[in-house]
Amino acid sequence: MSANETTLKQARDGHVRTERTFVRFSLGQRWEHALFLLTFSVLLLTGLPQKYRAAAWSQYILATPQRLETIQKIHHIAAVLLITIALYHVVRSMVRLFQRRLSGEMLPVPQDLRDGVKMLRWLLFIDRKKPSFGKFTFEQKFTYWFFIFGTVIMILSGLLIWFPVLFTRVLPGGIIPAAKLAHSAEAIAAAIFVVMWHSYHVHIERLNLSIFTGRLSEREMREYHEREYERLTGEPGSPTDGEPE
Amino acid sequence: MTRIRRYLSPTLIISSALLLASFILVSPAFADDGPQQPRLQESECLTCHSQPGLQVELANGEELPLTIDTERLSGSVHERIGISCDSCHPDISGYPHPKLEYETRRELSRAFYLTCRTCHASNYIDSLDSIHADIAAAGQMESPICTDCHGAHYTQYPNEPRALISETCGQCHTEIFAAYKSSVHGSALIEQNNPDVPVCTDCHGVHNIQDPRTALFRTESPELCASCHADPVLMAKYGYNSDVYSLYSISWHGVDVGVYKANWPTIWHDSAVCTDCHGVHNILPPDNPASSVSPQNLLATCRKCHPDAGPNWTGAWTGHNEISLQRTPLVYYTNIFYSSFVPFMLLLAGGYVLLRIIRATVDRVRRNLP
Repeated sequence: MSANETTLKQARDGHVRTERTFVRFSLGQRWEHALFLLTFSVLLLTGLPQKYRAAAWSQYILATPQRLETIQKIHHIAAVLLITIALYHVVRSMVRLFQRRLSGEMLPVPQDLRDGVKMLRWLLFIDRKKPSFGKFTFEQKFTYWFFIFGTVIMILSGLLIWFPVLFTRVLPGGIIPAAKLAHSAEAIAAAIFVVMWHSYHVHIERLNLSIFTGRLSEREMREYHEREYERLTGEPGSPTDGEPE
Repeated sequence: MTRIRRYLSPTLIISSALLLASFILVSPAFADDGPQQPRLQESECLTCHSQPGLQVELANGEELPLTIDTERLSGSVHERIGISCDSCHPDISGYPHPKLEYETRRELSRAFYLTCRTCHASNYIDSLDSIHADIAAAGQMESPICTDCHGAHYTQYPNEPRALISETCGQCHTEIFAAYKSSVHGSALIEQNNPDVPVCTDCHGVHNIQDPRTALFRTESPELCASCHADPVLMAKYGYNSDVYSLYSISWHGVDVGVYKANWPTIWHDSAVCTDCHGVHNILPPDNPASSVSPQNLLATCRKCHPDAGPNWTGAWTGHNEISLQRTPLVYYTNIFYSSFVPFMLLLAGGYVLLRIIRATVDRVRRNLP
């Protein structure tokens, strides 16, 4: 019996599941995420020793004044890259939204609040059934907008403390220490958020690599993005309600 | 009663006893010094040396005056405790004296002052570690020796009055002394004999004075100012804020300087220390219009390091003030946002994730139940 025949036989017997996959992210979006991940990590790693300069571990890393200069240079290069990615993302998304080539599903709508409440009711065992979502779950939208907000804060405050003399030609001087404080605090908030929230949702709850592979399996589509599945296939998306496949 | 008991405290009695014993034990040692040679009495020396106009010509033609002002001599600290001529001039035991083999007066002084170390050894050793000793080693013979500051025959307590200390330094450092005299510290010292303001030696040290132009001195200078300006009792006396140093050390400049101090104290850095903005010897109170940090002069002072700064720039300075709504509203609101709203959001997100973990665990357990 050849390998091919075995596969066919198993398929007939239902031993091998052939699963449809659905495109979730375009190649460009995957690149955007990869570059954002890279620059975010570099900025965090080069920023923390600067924030905690008075600490012993930071002084171990920044053992000479030259190292401090180097780490600042790397931070600035990564910052320029991140600003480029952020601008590209915002401009491209807006243009594509305007051209109606991008669905507006990521935009915040009042339904998100209702979804949040629904999720909370399910989490508190008030509702038995988990709420269903479209292309993006309540949590994914929250993640996206948290990062949008954080990135805007980091870019603006970062530029302010990078070019303080330039900006205070127009803006009040008090904005510089405020920007320094915001840059420092928002960085920590973002770091905590990534570790606690984002890494839970994409690593612990389930390993979701769709942002790298670009695709999501039929099972995951039905379980997590029920309404999107229904829209794409016209089939009922409701997961099997605990029934074994 | 309690007062008498305090006088009778054991520590006091023991220390007094020790002090007394030391006098008894030490004084014979002095007396024992030269029983073989008859000691020359001071009155014998003064028979000649009180004569006005007594002098001798040195090899280079300089006249060395030899007349002693007996009145001033009897008031000197040494005379008062019975130290007489031969203690410092041990080579002279009678007349005629040995010939003076010195080219110049300075050469003579530099040889004679070494006699100070017989009694003041630790101060002498300290002085060898000073910038004055360094420049003397480099060939500058005018560099001060003990007697230049303390005098030779008419030595007085160097700090009576306290202003005398700075005046003594001012004999050579005339320009710096002039600036100091008009400063908040110097004027209080000279006009009011204020006991709290620093005299030269409080910042520069006494006998082992170091070069204040080094990176090390610069890096450590804020701490020097802090030794008074971070003292709450002392600052309260004059209505000054004693938090200036602690607030400075968490400011942009202060953190920078702190890192250099901890890691590279001898590497030069340009981050501002106290004196860069307030001035060094000419420090004035910030509310004095002539002060380098008065509202009129502040921008010019910032521009020493930030030459392109515009008029708004001074508003960026928060180095000596707590965050407050009146002074720094932008920082105030940013601080509120990040110390309440953002932690609250993160706490909510954390609670949400926790609920998800609980729900997922419960669901999994339920699914596996028979």
